[in-house]
Amino acid sequence: MFDKLIKIFKDFTLSELLLGMSVTAKELVNTKITVQFPEERTPISPRFRGIHALRRYPNGEERCIACKLCEAVCPANAITIESEMRDDGTRRTTQYDIDLFKCIYCGFCEEACPVDAIVETQIFDYAFESREGSVLTKERLLEIGDENKKLIDKTKLEDSKYR
Amino acid sequence: MFEIEIDGKLVNAEAGEKLIEVTDRVGISVPRFCYHEKLSVAANCRMCLVDVEGAPKPQPACSTPVSEGMKVSTQNEKAKSAQKSVMEFLLINHPLDCPICDQGGECELQDVAMSYGSNVSRFNEGKRVIADSNIGALIHTDMTRCIHCTRCVRFGTEIAGIMEMGGTGRGESLKIEPFLNEGIQSELSGNMIDVCPVGALTSKPFRYELRSWQMNSTESIARHDLVGSNINVQTYKGKVKRIVARSNDSVNETWISDRDRFSYEGLSHSNRLLKPQVKFDGTWKEVSWEVALDFCVKGLLRSAGESNSMNSLGVLASKTATLEEYYLLQKLVSELGCENIDYRLGVKDTKNTINLESNVKLSDLEKIDHALIVGSYTRLEQPMINHRLRKAALRGGTVDVINSMQFDFNLALNNENIIIPCEIANLLASTLKVVLESTNQDVPEELNKLTITKSATKIAKKLLSSDASVIVLGEHVINNDNAKNISNLVAMLAKNTNSSTLNLSKTGNSIAADIAGFFPGKDGLDVNSMLGKDMNAYIMFDVYPEYDFHNSSTAIKALSDKNSFIVSMNSFYNNNVADYSDVMLPISSYYETSGTHVNIEGEFQTFAASVKAPQESKPAWKVIKVLADLLDISGFNYSDSSNVLEEAKHNIKQGHRAEESINITDTNSVEVIWQPSPYSIDALLRHSDSLQETKIGQINKATMNSSTAKHLNLGDKDDYLGVPVVISSLVANNCVFINANKSTPSEEQA
Repeated sequence: MFDKLIKIFKDFTLSELLLGMSVTAKELVNTKITVQFPEERTPISPRFRGIHALRRYPNGEERCIACKLCEAVCPANAITIESEMRDDGTRRTTQYDIDLFKCIYCGFCEEACPVDAIVETQIFDYAFESREGSVLTKERLLEIGDENKKLIDKTKLEDSKYR
Repeated sequence: MFEIEIDGKLVNAEAGEKLIEVTDRVGISVPRFCYHEKLSVAANCRMCLVDVEGAPKPQPACSTPVSEGMKVSTQNEKAKSAQKSVMEFLLINHPLDCPICDQGGECELQDVAMSYGSNVSRFNEGKRVIADSNIGALIHTDMTRCIHCTRCVRFGTEIAGIMEMGGTGRGESLKIEPFLNEGIQSELSGNMIDVCPVGALTSKPFRYELRSWQMNSTESIARHDLVGSNINVQTYKGKVKRIVARSNDSVNETWISDRDRFSYEGLSHSNRLLKPQVKFDGTWKEVSWEVALDFCVKGLLRSAGESNSMNSLGVLASKTATLEEYYLLQKLVSELGCENIDYRLGVKDTKNTINLESNVKLSDLEKIDHALIVGSYTRLEQPMINHRLRKAALRGGTVDVINSMQFDFNLALNNENIIIPCEIANLLASTLKVVLESTNQDVPEELNKLTITKSATKIAKKLLSSDASVIVLGEHVINNDNAKNISNLVAMLAKNTNSSTLNLSKTGNSIAADIAGFFPGKDGLDVNSMLGKDMNAYIMFDVYPEYDFHNSSTAIKALSDKNSFIVSMNSFYNNNVADYSDVMLPISSYYETSGTHVNIEGEFQTFAASVKAPQESKPAWKVIKVLADLLDISGFNYSDSSNVLEEAKHNIKQGHRAEESINITDTNSVEVIWQPSPYSIDALLRHSDSLQETKIGQINKATMNSSTAKHLNLGDKDDYLGVPVVISSLVANNCVFINANKSTPSEEQA
């Protein structure tokens, strides 16, 4: 009986509606959390595991020494490496392919790398138009590394103190 | 036999055994680097320290003999801390370059460091760096990685017999390096790669190619010598990438020769024959297998002519085929009604050549107390057999040699007779006479007129006084004018002195060829009569005329001049083959087909294919089978090469047995011994680039002494039979010893 009276009272004073409207009113003045992707981006952890890149030393020499530990550790068998002795006698890859369809972005390759050559960047919004595009070749990986050198260096530095 | 206690377990041990042998036998793992079961004990790495009750300090298991009532702990605090400390010391100067080290993944140091090492390094000082030396085309050195276990040094002195690596300096500055800057020259040098526990010595052709975990390994048999060494063929994506030794004490122990280890390189040579080709109007066209085989069948049937007789078909094969291939080809041809079949391409006169049985087990060879080597440089020609003989010599056995040139044997020779080829028979005959006379037997008439020389007496006495002796007959006498006599004399000598015999002239897989009946039938022609006659057709199996025939130019001329229909099955392309053939069928090479190798003991060693034959080439036995089907010959319903083997085993043929007679002829002209250099004996070896780069691979010389050179009007810079002349006093007078990696002579031999 008492409950019924309360309900009638609420119905006539439109209190439920006002309560809902108050949320709207609050959000009207609050700071917005929606971002306008891709013009605006949300912050990402330095440990984020996006597309891969191969890094170089400051003198421009590629870091990768074809030890094939990433290939061995990769749980999805996404990495294929062929190696040879380069003319200067160093151990280098002739082929370094990552199949992005197989990759599960676990980051083990990065963990296994003894020379920090293969890294996973913060870049996640990549797309390709042909099927072949799903395989990142050595050239492409080095290109990604060169294009995003600053970003990679920054994130790795940020993360380094926790490693 | 008594009991000792290891880690609380009672185990049996024999007096004289080392502790590590006992732990290895019962399966208790003790870490080690310098200890190797086939090498002497050095006890210098100290990794195998274990705690022996009563001993004040931990003892090295590899050099501590067992004694009754011994109580050993390999696991207690004292042993563990000793092992951990040693590991720490070993890692002081070892670089942390495992990621670029080829040994990574199969490294003993890596494994032991994982289980016995500490996880942090306390070493902050600078590490020692050693400059690398180039030691040849086969082994790459990274001496900074060396942990001074001295296995390679001991291998050189004890097994290879030439001390090529050695330690110089002491303590921190101890370096393992070759003494001379000429590189490693041993024919067994590749085994140093296997014995090296770290990445200091690694395979050069394999450098930086693959990780050990990436490859598949298949068991196989190496077919370059008479032993048939057991090997593991490691493959990756259908290609042979590396060959390593597989232990088999009755065949090759744990060693293999460099030939067996590095010949795989030839498999991916650009010179491989990969597609069937047919000659239309003088030009080669690549065709499908159907077209090519159809062409073969039609050509062969056409060559039979109206009489439909295959009497003028000739079948020649090299010495490298498998038993199955020999058997099938032989069966195919005899079903066709042809008996002209031969594999002895390098023999001048098949009626006058060596025909001797081998009747000694390889493992018994190292137990003999005397060996007489006739006409062989065993060290380079049959490295694994030489290794057994060397072991015998090291145990106190003696070795006598009858050769036409003084060779650099790696075993101590008791008595070296350097005589010209035509005198070998005489010397053996007079030796036989001495033997017969001293055992009070009748001396045959033929021997009566012989004068007994001092050397014959010496050789005879040694043979008579030894309990277990062996007479080794080698390849050098295969074309000797008295080859048959020599062979008979050796057989008679062996019979009368209770010696065993070893016939090293049956190189490659020719013992299998004999078993399969791959020799001319009753009315069949042998190789030389075939070439001399007008044959209408030939089937040539893996023949490379300039290397395989005794006299290459005559053979090539005979094959190309006459208008015969020639079917060639080859695994490598060859200009001369292309010249005279009408069809070229690409067949598998080593490790690409299943088959059987018969070694000198008569042991059938069957192997499976390790990789698929490349592109359109096919296993040869299948090609022969299909050819038989197309020729409408029944009885070729094999689904597997093992069916062929079964059938071949039930049809074992006996080779021609020689009658025992001696009829020695004398020659006075200059005699030539033509011996292919060790790395040119078959097509695969000739296409292995790294082996060809080595010192042994580049041997190409006609050695003669100065008076022979004068007689032939030759100087240092001249060529003899197309081979550069080397003047040396090591050769017998009136004899030219040719060791060539090029084709056989283009002129008639002297």
